[in-house]
Amino acid sequence: MAIPEPTAFVDVGAESDERPLRDAFALLLANRVAFLGGLLTIAFLGVGVLGAVILATPGLQHLYLDQDFSATLAHPGHAGHLLGTDQYGRDLLWRTVAGTGISLLVGVAATSATLVLGLTLGCIAGYFGGIIDRLVSGLIDLTWGFPLLLVAVIYAGMLEPGITAVVLAIGTVVWAGFARIVRAQVRSLREREFIEAARALGTPAPKIILRHLVPNVMGTVLVMASYYVAIAVITEAGFSFIGLGAQPPTPSLGQMIADGRNYFSVSIWPATVPGVMIALIVLALNSLGDGLRDIFDPRLRRF
Amino acid sequence: MAQFVLRRFLYALLLLVIASVLIFYGLRVAPGDIVTAIASPTQALVIKSTLTKQLGLDRPLAVQYFVFIGHVLQGNPGVSVVSGAPISTIIRESGLRTLELGLSAAFLTYALAIPLGVLAAWKRNSVLDQGLRFFTVLGMGVPNFFLAVILIQVLAVNHHWLPVAGPGGIRHLILPAVVLSVEAIALNLRLMRSSLLEELSNDYIRTLRAKGITNRRVICVHALRNALTPVIALAGVILPTLLGYTLIVETVFRYEGLGFQLVQAITHRDYALAQTLALLLTAVVILCNFLADVGHHLIDPRVREGSRG
Repeated sequence: MAIPEPTAFVDVGAESDERPLRDAFALLLANRVAFLGGLLTIAFLGVGVLGAVILATPGLQHLYLDQDFSATLAHPGHAGHLLGTDQYGRDLLWRTVAGTGISLLVGVAATSATLVLGLTLGCIAGYFGGIIDRLVSGLIDLTWGFPLLLVAVIYAGMLEPGITAVVLAIGTVVWAGFARIVRAQVRSLREREFIEAARALGTPAPKIILRHLVPNVMGTVLVMASYYVAIAVITEAGFSFIGLGAQPPTPSLGQMIADGRNYFSVSIWPATVPGVMIALIVLALNSLGDGLRDIFDPRLRRF
Repeated sequence: MAQFVLRRFLYALLLLVIASVLIFYGLRVAPGDIVTAIASPTQALVIKSTLTKQLGLDRPLAVQYFVFIGHVLQGNPGVSVVSGAPISTIIRESGLRTLELGLSAAFLTYALAIPLGVLAAWKRNSVLDQGLRFFTVLGMGVPNFFLAVILIQVLAVNHHWLPVAGPGGIRHLILPAVVLSVEAIALNLRLMRSSLLEELSNDYIRTLRAKGITNRRVICVHALRNALTPVIALAGVILPTLLGYTLIVETVFRYEGLGFQLVQAITHRDYALAQTLALLLTAVVILCNFLADVGHHLIDPRVREGSRG
């Protein structure tokens, strides 16, 4: 009796996995709002990476720190400042780019923490069930439903004010929601034949989780990742707006709005430019997430 | 049912105890202790030891924790080290303001989102529906603090229709309540619309229509009741989120509620006040989650059957 190689199952899975991905791309192209969201998200990533490079390179920091006292609160286009200047005559375009860098950094850090924690614990709870599941579910209930800002503000009291508090807050709260979704999916996947086959062949549990379960929840990971980055961006901005996030002179979009509102009657630009930027980022990520959700897993449709 | 409520209640209590320990220890190990914060460098040496003793900071942390909890339970959590006002007074006054703001925002949310959501589903793809969809997209994308800055500028600074900031009468409540509720309105409106549309595609709706029941009655009586379930379930998430947003909205409007006070206390490192407020707000969140759980259990038979988990 020749026992089929376990790899045979893997290959079949890999092959049938490829086509949905190509279909998914075609669907994304067909869904105009999602496509636009995707384009804007790519733009956000580009600007964010540029901003992060500027923030991290001492030789480039003059772009957003230089004060042009001959042109404070200048309107767009004045003296070579494409989007105008703030009250110290600092260039708004470059400050917005650097601030977007902070948003992207917070978004990526917080979302990675959320996804790794949620995916790991969700898979473990869903696959093993029993007492492990009860423990993880208890942990989920423990942290789920706490308002991010409240947790972030408490963290800011425990640590120094700064963006670390936001990242930590998102890491400790949001993972629970994600773990819940993953756990439910894994529980239903576990009963499917291909998992049963893998188990019958004696595949060790870690390998089943990594090679069979994780690829099957990747769609969900992509969908939720775009929502979570949006949540992180807007939470960081709000947190910096009330003065507990990024500390000056590091520009954060939220803190720029807080500074700019004091000069709103003189020039609307210092508050409006970062405000529109945040709105665009969040809209882009939300519509990309909605589009991906319709493609990968319509059951995730919450609203 | 009673067993479920009891279990959830014990769970909520356990959660509260864990949260109180975390908040207390977390804020105690925080950098920058209160004694150095309120005594000037020259006074520091003399005053430091007296203050340390007076505030009980020389005792072991575990003892301090139980002293703190004891005081809170007696309703006497001490005084704000920065302003000198008794914390219980601050909580009473600010708590009422936050309650006023929160209830107004919650009222606005449901009073607008449910009827508008029904209307959007009823007149599907009409101009009204498109307009509402545009509003929901904006409402979920534009950050509420940016909206607040714009509304203050246009309605208060430029036109003097409403006060700029601060607590006060009902006119002072309008802008903060609107800003606080915009996102929740958008979320609930969208949910109400899609949930009602889904409900209307069910077979029993066709049966009702076949029996000659008017469209208005089908929607408003039969479909709406079932379609409300997810909206009520979402309330368990919406209320704590609103509470979290009060930290920002109250700060923008300098509306001296609990959120404003907590942000101020953290900014000024007023730990006695901060830990009491943090504990109080956490307790409110836990209570909200508990009530949401029980409520969800009551209204949705499918949850009651024990399909949880």
